[in-house]
Amino acid sequence: MTLTATPEVPAAEPNGGSGVLEIRNVSKAFPNVQALDDVSLDVRPGEVLAFLGENGAGKSTLLKILSGDYQPDQGTLSIDGEGLRFSNPREARAAGIRVIYQEPEIIPGVDVAENIFAGELPRRGPFLDRGELNRRVDAELAEYGFEQALPRHRMGGELSSAQRQLVEIMRAVKSKMRILALDEPTSSLTEEEVDQLFTLVRRLRAEGVAIIYVSHRLHEIMRIADRVAILRDGRLVIVEQAAKMTEDDVVRNMVGRELGEVFDRHRAGTDRVVLEAQDIRSDVHHGVSFDIRAGEIVGFAGLIGAGRSELAKVIFGEMPMTGGKVLIEGSQVRIGQPSDAIKEGIGFAPEDRKREGLVLIRSVLENATLAIIGRLTRFRIVQRGREREIGRQYVERLNVRTPSLDQMVGKLSGGNQQKVVLARWLAAKPKVLILDEPTRGIDVGAKAEIYRLIDALANEGLAIMLISSELPEVLGMSDRIIVMQGGRITGELPGPGTTEEQVLELAMHEHLQASRAAAEAAARGGEDE
Amino acid sequence: MTETQQGAPANDDGTAAAVPSGGAPLPGDQDVSTLRRVINTVGVDNLSLLFALLAIVAVVVWLQPLFLSWQNLMNSLSQSIVIVGLLAIGQTVVIVAGMLDISVGSIASVASVTAASAIVLGGITLPGGFELPLPFVQGSMQAGILVGILTGMGLGLINGLVVTKLNVNPIIATLGTLAAFAGLAFLVAPDGKPVGVVTQPAFTWLATGRLFPELAIPELAGGRPWTGIPILFLIFVLVAVIYHIIMKYTDFGRTVYAIGGNAVAARLAGINLTRNKIAMYMLCGATAGLAGVLLTARTTSGNPINGVGFELQAITAVFLGGAATTGGKGTIVGTVLAVLLVGVLNNGMNLLGVGTFYQRVALGVLLIAAVALAQWRQARAERARTRAAAAG
Repeated sequence: MTLTATPEVPAAEPNGGSGVLEIRNVSKAFPNVQALDDVSLDVRPGEVLAFLGENGAGKSTLLKILSGDYQPDQGTLSIDGEGLRFSNPREARAAGIRVIYQEPEIIPGVDVAENIFAGELPRRGPFLDRGELNRRVDAELAEYGFEQALPRHRMGGELSSAQRQLVEIMRAVKSKMRILALDEPTSSLTEEEVDQLFTLVRRLRAEGVAIIYVSHRLHEIMRIADRVAILRDGRLVIVEQAAKMTEDDVVRNMVGRELGEVFDRHRAGTDRVVLEAQDIRSDVHHGVSFDIRAGEIVGFAGLIGAGRSELAKVIFGEMPMTGGKVLIEGSQVRIGQPSDAIKEGIGFAPEDRKREGLVLIRSVLENATLAIIGRLTRFRIVQRGREREIGRQYVERLNVRTPSLDQMVGKLSGGNQQKVVLARWLAAKPKVLILDEPTRGIDVGAKAEIYRLIDALANEGLAIMLISSELPEVLGMSDRIIVMQGGRITGELPGPGTTEEQVLELAMHEHLQASRAAAEAAARGGEDE
Repeated sequence: MTETQQGAPANDDGTAAAVPSGGAPLPGDQDVSTLRRVINTVGVDNLSLLFALLAIVAVVVWLQPLFLSWQNLMNSLSQSIVIVGLLAIGQTVVIVAGMLDISVGSIASVASVTAASAIVLGGITLPGGFELPLPFVQGSMQAGILVGILTGMGLGLINGLVVTKLNVNPIIATLGTLAAFAGLAFLVAPDGKPVGVVTQPAFTWLATGRLFPELAIPELAGGRPWTGIPILFLIFVLVAVIYHIIMKYTDFGRTVYAIGGNAVAARLAGINLTRNKIAMYMLCGATAGLAGVLLTARTTSGNPINGVGFELQAITAVFLGGAATTGGKGTIVGTVLAVLLVGVLNNGMNLLGVGTFYQRVALGVLLIAAVALAQWRQARAERARTRAAAAG
């Protein structure tokens, strides 16, 4: 099958040269989601190929297939016609493929030198040959110009994120490496460190290494990439020379999808403000202010790390608030822990329902009534009849598919688990409902059901804070959209009529500004050719 | 060649259908047979425990018919399980919540001394030689019991504070207090010597009293005839019932299971972890305190070493009773069955003349076997679930 398959890649010219990694017809499915769908792509030596896409577009899955963490359901990898099949990361490394993630494995208790040479330390007899190790590490660091950035004797546990990444890169460069993939390498780096990294990348490119570069930062990609590959919903949308594309082209290709009929929002908002946040500050937030009215769905959009989930946790009392005020129906409330928030009428369905939302080994009923169980008692004895009645009422209203109320929640499907979480909060009759990624990992049918439910809840007068990384969901459900980046609100958009490009523009606001600044700096200094 | 693309959506539909068909009202809630109800009361997980208990009883009776004599059942057996039983019941609360209390033996020792001091001397010696006079307590059985229980709750409070406020791992925290409270038991004993002899008849009645001694119940399997049900055993039953109600029927009990099952989810559902965990350690301390009082009544002396070594048996019983090391699982019924099982095993070995050293080895092996069995069953259940999911 793969022998006759002609790659559907626009830019994949026949290349007889050696060392090209050929990715052919690769597919990978997870329960409820097709993460990669028939992706074919060439990665060539001596070029920087950028992977772009929204959250969940399939970039990470593809990297994990390259690194041997995942095995493709279908499709092949090959270099020079030699098929590659990795059952674990070690095999991928042996084949010369290195993938460097945002948080590399660093041994905290030993220094930089030992971390770089971990697993292949020079020895003299049974002992570590410290002198030899130091000589080699000094030579490596000097060769790539990292003597200042990465002090050899600093302990692993004391390294900054940037330094940890440098350690991982040094580990990679000293091995024979044909392909280097960098996953969001600059998300925690300063401008200066980014420049150093780019110098290294260009050098490796010149040495003939094929480099895959994954990032959300468009301006960086435009600086460093030779070609750009854009993924959307697990499919490869376009592969093009970077020089031929503008940032606008990139954004349009990342988004370019039509909203289905699943969203059915009937707006019935009022003017009565229920939740008001004034200048909220925390470890990750720098003055966030917004309000949500009764009957209104306010969508919170942004890239991963923008501080949206953390904002929900700060409001709910799960993360400390260092400044600012929260007002419910006009009066200031003090929320020190989640139980305070519930008393004030706030409900919160967290992002990770298995870890944070549900007690998986207990029953549907116990999970549904967990937040109100104290109110269902007489002399501290739970009134079981009343509890069952209320549990049944919400389980039926939300159409939770379960054989009985006593079924263990862990045995339900993702969509039904999410409905149990929602049932818990509906039973608590809140004024404000915070939904963090309410449809993550849920199949399409259940998604539509949850959207209808959210719509109905808002129309009953609930104020809903909808955090989602899926732009169609935010656009389709929200009456207003608040876009965040780096712990700040970068803009507010009306729900109806807003395009994904407008949201992405605000979500990458800082990056785009930095891009312009960098362009100016380049024009002045000319350090980037 | 492009079959993959057409195949993918069909796959998606397939996974969505893994859920039992529903939408209709929930079936099978009301119409439950009597047998089913009995099984539900005992608990499905406890059935195998019940069968294991019966099997061991059968083996012991076969080897030594005297096991079934009233003298053995009502004296040796029922009294030997009481102390371990009380400690295990309190321990169940803490273990179901995903924690552990190793210090219960030492708590019992301290309570044994304070209860004896209060009854005999009318006051408690505090560390450093200070006296806390409690004249109105002197000679009163009820007040003595209360002093013991309050001592246990106070020490449980310390455990709870260390675990929640200082964020010390429960195993380490209570390992520390196991040692500290063992020392404390000597510090609260005047001159570090046992407080004795406790001879108030109202108090020793706790250990020697019998209910219904006059009933004409025929003797069973030889030995001495019926002498009544020991008060000690009745206290154990009463405490078991109270804790069963707390765990199964109160909102606090729900909290215990929720915290043990997923502490983060419990907190996000509005449960105050700190306050509830402290309460759990106090409930565990209360049973340990009561056990200390009964130890005083039985030995007629408030001895600072009264409780030494009981924690291992108590913890063994809880895990044997079906509690999970990760928390969220376990019942009082299961613990009580396991206490009976350990009791019968010990009693049987005594009757058969097995030496104490072998008995200790057997107890240690039992603890490991109980947890290993639970792990094996859990792994099997998980594999079955994965297979079912894959098939659907």
